[in-house]
Amino acid sequence: MNKYEKYIRYQTFPTPWCPGCGDGVVLKAIAMAFSDLDLDPNDIIVIAGIGCSGRMPTFFNTNTLHTTHGRALTFATGVKLARPEKMVVVISGDGDAMAIGGNHLIHAARRNIGIKMILINNGVYGMTGGQVSPLTPQKFITETTPYGNIEPKFHPAELMIAARATFVARETVNRTVQLKEVIKKSLQHNGFSVVEAISNCHINLGRKNKMKNPVNMTKWIASRTVTKEQYEKLAPEDRAHKYPVGILQEDTARYEYSELYHKHIIPAAKEAAKKEAAARNNKK
Amino acid sequence: MSKRKVFQGNIIVAKAAIAAGCNFFAGYPITPSSEIAQHLSREFPKMGRDFIQMEDEISALGACIGASLSGKKVLTATSGPGFSLMQEHLGLAVMTEIPLVIVNVMRGGPSTGIPTKPSQADMMQARWGTHGDHPIIVLYPAFADEIFSETVRAFNLSEKFWNPVILLLDEVIAKAHEDIELPAKKDINIYKEKVNVIKDLNIYDRNIGENPPRVDFFKGYPIHIDGLEHDSHGYPTSDPAIADKMQHLRMQKIYHYQDEIIKFKEYYMDDAEMMIFSFGVSARSALSAVKIAREEGIKVGLFQALTIWPFPKKALQERFKKIKKVLTVEMNMGQMKYEVERVSPDDVKKDTLLRANGIPFTPQEIVNSIKEFSK
Amino acid sequence: MDREEKQINEAALETRKKKQHSKKENVIELVSQYCKGCGLCVDSCPTGTLLLEDNIESKFGISVTVDAPEYCIGCKMCERRCPDFAIFINHEKDKDGK
Repeated sequence: MNKYEKYIRYQTFPTPWCPGCGDGVVLKAIAMAFSDLDLDPNDIIVIAGIGCSGRMPTFFNTNTLHTTHGRALTFATGVKLARPEKMVVVISGDGDAMAIGGNHLIHAARRNIGIKMILINNGVYGMTGGQVSPLTPQKFITETTPYGNIEPKFHPAELMIAARATFVARETVNRTVQLKEVIKKSLQHNGFSVVEAISNCHINLGRKNKMKNPVNMTKWIASRTVTKEQYEKLAPEDRAHKYPVGILQEDTARYEYSELYHKHIIPAAKEAAKKEAAARNNKK
Repeated sequence: MSKRKVFQGNIIVAKAAIAAGCNFFAGYPITPSSEIAQHLSREFPKMGRDFIQMEDEISALGACIGASLSGKKVLTATSGPGFSLMQEHLGLAVMTEIPLVIVNVMRGGPSTGIPTKPSQADMMQARWGTHGDHPIIVLYPAFADEIFSETVRAFNLSEKFWNPVILLLDEVIAKAHEDIELPAKKDINIYKEKVNVIKDLNIYDRNIGENPPRVDFFKGYPIHIDGLEHDSHGYPTSDPAIADKMQHLRMQKIYHYQDEIIKFKEYYMDDAEMMIFSFGVSARSALSAVKIAREEGIKVGLFQALTIWPFPKKALQERFKKIKKVLTVEMNMGQMKYEVERVSPDDVKKDTLLRANGIPFTPQEIVNSIKEFSK
Repeated sequence: MDREEKQINEAALETRKKKQHSKKENVIELVSQYCKGCGLCVDSCPTGTLLLEDNIESKFGISVTVDAPEYCIGCKMCERRCPDFAIFINHEKDKDGK
């Protein structure tokens, strides 16, 4: 057994994902990142919402939690505040992160709570059959946009940078070594971190848009992938369809939320309690 | 010097939670329950306990569930609109068998309703609000000392039965400032048994009527908790035999022990020929009404339900053997009256006093109804 | 095998023509019960070692086969790209042989 297989729950295999689904690649990259960092599986919790990405916790041999649609970050907030020393990982898909869960995403970033989020962006709601998502490229055909999608998509990484998340990175399922490295760095980051993993849903999105084979769809993703440096050099009109990859924002100066609570709020409250007790004694 | 001090109902809830060992609160402000959050935001950090104000009620209950699974004793407090938002996660907590206490201070509804006035209109929602078949325990105190004791009992029941417990209050008892002697620490009974070591990963495996042998996260066992229907390991399944078994296990976990969970108080019932069935603020007016009516010679008694769900069916049916008139008094357009009708035999006459406009019943109004009904 | 899957095989064979036998021997382990025949490993192999083949035993009627093991350079690109833990290169064995 390779070291990274220690983090895999084989009793629940085979995975329910379509042949070639990027979810499996992300699963492996995360397991390899855990393994590289030599983490104790009992100190890790993996939390997800609903969707194909939401099935991922079942396959990790760590503490795992499968919650409601869009709210994984809220459960993770409770866990992190209750057990700040543990590694809390949240896995989200399009809808979980950017539709129903959008609000919780910006609040987690605002709080800078030490949750490590992996956002699997495959441009569609795969589990429910292929409806449009806030991350579907314009003009694409989906189950609920049969005449083409007129809504522009979110750019999750850029959105997170604007929300001042302290670690934002993007990678794709083609670049597996870099994906693992970026996940590793995000796990080590002290604060809220988001890794956007561009993935392929060839069965429910690609098939309606001339990319029904995983190899073809991942090649399409590769054709749109540019490094951060290359992206800077592009003219604005060429940037629209490109995915700049790499670590896009890294801020180590801000305090992490649970750290701030334990190092500032609790001592301040205990001081206040002492003063109140002293005042009560003086009155007597 | 008397040990009685004046506290607001909401504050009594907060103090009882602290006494019961609650150590995590996640909530969202809403009239008329915000004082609970405010009090705990001051007191919890002093004790090294956790407090967080989340961005909405949905995330508040989410954070509570995450913390409960990580070993904390959790509380959240809300009112009607927030309680409606919490229903999805309430279902998740029932499905995954997680202890937690939700306080719902009922106010005028539906929708935004009348935020600063009371109602008792969430009684059925507390039982059926979340989708799917689910067992639930709902408690509802009326007097100040009951607010304290029922809050502690809510925590004990939720820990003992691995299920969410809803603690109902109404805007009157939550906001009223009353004198109460808080019980001494040694007199407060806190349920202590908690699973810390498990034999194997079959965390939901047990016989009908038993609790699941489940540990919390981070105890050294890689457990999986899932909102999907699951087998004894917690892994998702749609197998019909397993689904059937799990449904029965979850329901019977509560209903097998309903005699232990059901609690009520009776006043002037020994020789009563008429019974008032009520709870919360209405029960308080009803008690005064019963005293007045008794002085005028009417043989009426009060049955005050402290446990609303499971419904005290057996207790009522016992009393219906001798008492043949029941008057349900509730501040809504008719909710618990249907339960009273359901459990009462045909020879019992049923009447109701209902109102949902934000004004509690005065004792005299109830006396008038008693007199009408006794003719 | 459909047209696109045949194209993946053709591309792998083309790649192999430009390569030579590997200097080191590498052990390629297939876990057939997990292989869904997606072809990502075939496409990601830089030396064209792997091919897709029709296989009635496989869940989707198609699975990977090690067509030319002597070309494998042990880069593990296939292992990293496989979503199903169905292929391992030089798989480490525990003391009890797992």
